[in-house]
Amino acid sequence: MITLTIDDQKVEVPEGTTVLNAARKAGIHIPTLCDHPHLKPYGGCRLCMVEIEGFRTLQASCTIPATNNMVVRTTSDQIRKARKFVLTLIFSERNHFCPYCQVSGSDCELQNAAYGEGMTHWPLQPNWQPYPVDASHPYFILEHNRCILCRRCIRACSELVGANTLGVEERGAKTFVIADLNVPLGESSCVSCGMCVQVCPTGALIDRRSAYRGQNTTVDHLQTICAGCSVGCGLDILTRDQQLIRIDGNWDAPVNQGVTCKVGRFYPAFDDRERLKTPLVRKNGALQPVSWEEALMTAAQKIKAASGHGLAALASTRLPVESLHLFRQLFLDDLHSEMVTSTEEGSRTAILSRWAEKLGKPFEGKVERMHEAGAFLVMGADLVNEHEVLGFFIRRRFPEPIKLIVVDENENGLGDLAHCALTPQKKTQATLLRGLIAAVAKLGQNQVAFNGQPDEEVLKASSACGVASDLILEAAYQLTNSESPLIVYDPATIDDEIMQLLLDLSQTTGSALLSVKGGANALAAAQLGLDKPFKLNGSQVAYVAIGDEEPKEKFIQQLEKCSSLIVQASYHSRLTAMADVVLPVVNWLEQDGHYINLEGRMQTATQVLKPADSIWTNEAVLTALAEKLDVNLANDWESTLSKRPSPVSIAA
Amino acid sequence: MSKPKVASDWMAGCAGCHMSLLDMDERIAKIVELVDLRSTPITDLKHPDESGVDVGILEGGINNTSNEEVAKMMRKRCKILVALGDCAVFGGVPAMRNFFTIEETLRRAYVETESTDAEGKIPDDPELARPTRVRAVHEVVPVDIFVPGCPPDADTIFYVLSELAQGRKPVLKDDKLHWH
Repeated sequence: MITLTIDDQKVEVPEGTTVLNAARKAGIHIPTLCDHPHLKPYGGCRLCMVEIEGFRTLQASCTIPATNNMVVRTTSDQIRKARKFVLTLIFSERNHFCPYCQVSGSDCELQNAAYGEGMTHWPLQPNWQPYPVDASHPYFILEHNRCILCRRCIRACSELVGANTLGVEERGAKTFVIADLNVPLGESSCVSCGMCVQVCPTGALIDRRSAYRGQNTTVDHLQTICAGCSVGCGLDILTRDQQLIRIDGNWDAPVNQGVTCKVGRFYPAFDDRERLKTPLVRKNGALQPVSWEEALMTAAQKIKAASGHGLAALASTRLPVESLHLFRQLFLDDLHSEMVTSTEEGSRTAILSRWAEKLGKPFEGKVERMHEAGAFLVMGADLVNEHEVLGFFIRRRFPEPIKLIVVDENENGLGDLAHCALTPQKKTQATLLRGLIAAVAKLGQNQVAFNGQPDEEVLKASSACGVASDLILEAAYQLTNSESPLIVYDPATIDDEIMQLLLDLSQTTGSALLSVKGGANALAAAQLGLDKPFKLNGSQVAYVAIGDEEPKEKFIQQLEKCSSLIVQASYHSRLTAMADVVLPVVNWLEQDGHYINLEGRMQTATQVLKPADSIWTNEAVLTALAEKLDVNLANDWESTLSKRPSPVSIAA
Repeated sequence: MSKPKVASDWMAGCAGCHMSLLDMDERIAKIVELVDLRSTPITDLKHPDESGVDVGILEGGINNTSNEEVAKMMRKRCKILVALGDCAVFGGVPAMRNFFTIEETLRRAYVETESTDAEGKIPDDPELARPTRVRAVHEVVPVDIFVPGCPPDADTIFYVLSELAQGRKPVLKDDKLHWH
């Protein structure tokens, strides 16, 4: 620890702390623009200048490390003059006219900084050069006129997401934020995660849906969990008068630490599906609005009538654990239906549950490992199109000396970035893994005894799967020569043989394992036994609790064949159109509940928006339906979850 | 001591700042007690006294040669010049036209608008003021007090006028400082 004096106040901070952060610790405000607590110090805007005894000139407090016995002043006439001058130059450079800017009022950090310095006007007027507006992106607009070149967007794009789409061209006043080699954003390599919009201090990056609809002072902030995939990002939801305004990544969420992808940030606001508003029952061939009582009675009758004709039940993995548990109790434990499963169908989790049972203990690691792993082996997982945030977590580590090995029979989105891309011929993944294990032994790095001839095994694997032996050795070298290696895999692409080999490889290299699980509550569904492939098997009645999930075509095709279909859903879809009873339920923003993410973290979703009175929660519908069927449902989901061994340890 | 004389005028603005001034309601009576309100665009006397006033208030930016004259006359005849509102302080909404040439804006306004028929033409009477780039007041004449806001709140205007009437220089900060 070192001690410094800021404005006559003694502050103790760890070595390496910047003067700015030391001041913050002491509760002393220094205005900033380019600085962002989640980005590396940059020193671009020069607004945070301070006086340091012994220094000839003012220093940028955001980049200068505090040293022992340093004496710092944050307010003096010289400093205030410098700040005003910095702001004057920024205002003169482009067109920062407040009256017609969407962040004017409370959201603009530039305006707030000017107010903070008591600026009543601009000493230098702008030169009125119009700058282009890039409106080519579907979700946000890049308004160069409002840009102050702080590069927060560029730093977020690389430091937080690893996309490296944004950059600058030219120098000095001609500097310009560009995408790729200066192409329109909409045609660039942008992954649409929107982190740039989240960190922009001015109105230069505008979210299309939230612009002009409310500011920090007029919106409510509520935190919940994304139901988009099994990563379970924490989100900060901005609402106003029960309207969704915008979604940001929650900086305080342990899983994603502020980062999220387009699925969490933009999809909900751009969801144009039509909402179901009242219960519907099919009468004379057409769906008619009815009371809840009538709809539930009709549904109960159809379910009762199913005895003997078979009843199939399907629930979305976007539903909270509470709902999935009630669903399981009603249809599996009480009605004893043969087919009770989830929309994930155990496609990823079934094999994991099987191995958890076999091993009798969790065998996978935590997402945190992604932030420290020295090497990644990504096998079969498409982290570019699904579970995107995991892909960001790997890509953003690239400035560090990490190694990425990709093993995929198909083209993998991370393949181009990989230091070692292994593309085995179809159905030879197991052989390749055997080769890798042998290669580790050949390098003498195996942490588990190896029986056999490593040289021969590597060559055998090489010729069998069509991957050069040098490449296999290289991958083995990278994996074993790095701290805390991590294997990220997609269980949907493997069989028991490969699972065994992955476990062997992880043991012999000291790697942790982490797999994607699919839907937000796929793991919870697995723990509750809702993990069978969905087959109608001649059932005449089907109950589908699809929630706010968009029904997949393969389910619709199967369900067309049953004579009675009851759908519990938030939105109109082809599925609800062919249903006999439709029960309108909340969407993910309107519910409380629990979600278990891919690493077993039990997270709490919180109601952000109030649903219409005619719309019920999934739990309320299932409970009311159970009453009509004379079934009592218990609320012991937590103990039920832990009855089955899990591939990850489940805890809050 | 005689009451300080105050005059105001407007240029390239929307009159909204003067509306905001009236929005101080009954407090305007207090202001009139404190100051001798001379020429304003909303009273009979239109030009500040030749003998001079203590405080001159200008609303709006300067977008033509006529505005220039108004600003220069006010500057000459007042001791303290107040730029009232975003247009006077920054150029404001009218300054959006600075992103185009004057020819483009005139053609759009007088010829190309959807409601203009084939007869539309850009006025060219030599008696008319000549349009210029829209400028903040301080780009043409020195300004002593800047009161930004679109419009400034009635409370802010009341504060500024009452401070000036009592011989103090108003300092805009915190709640009173808004640019929009």
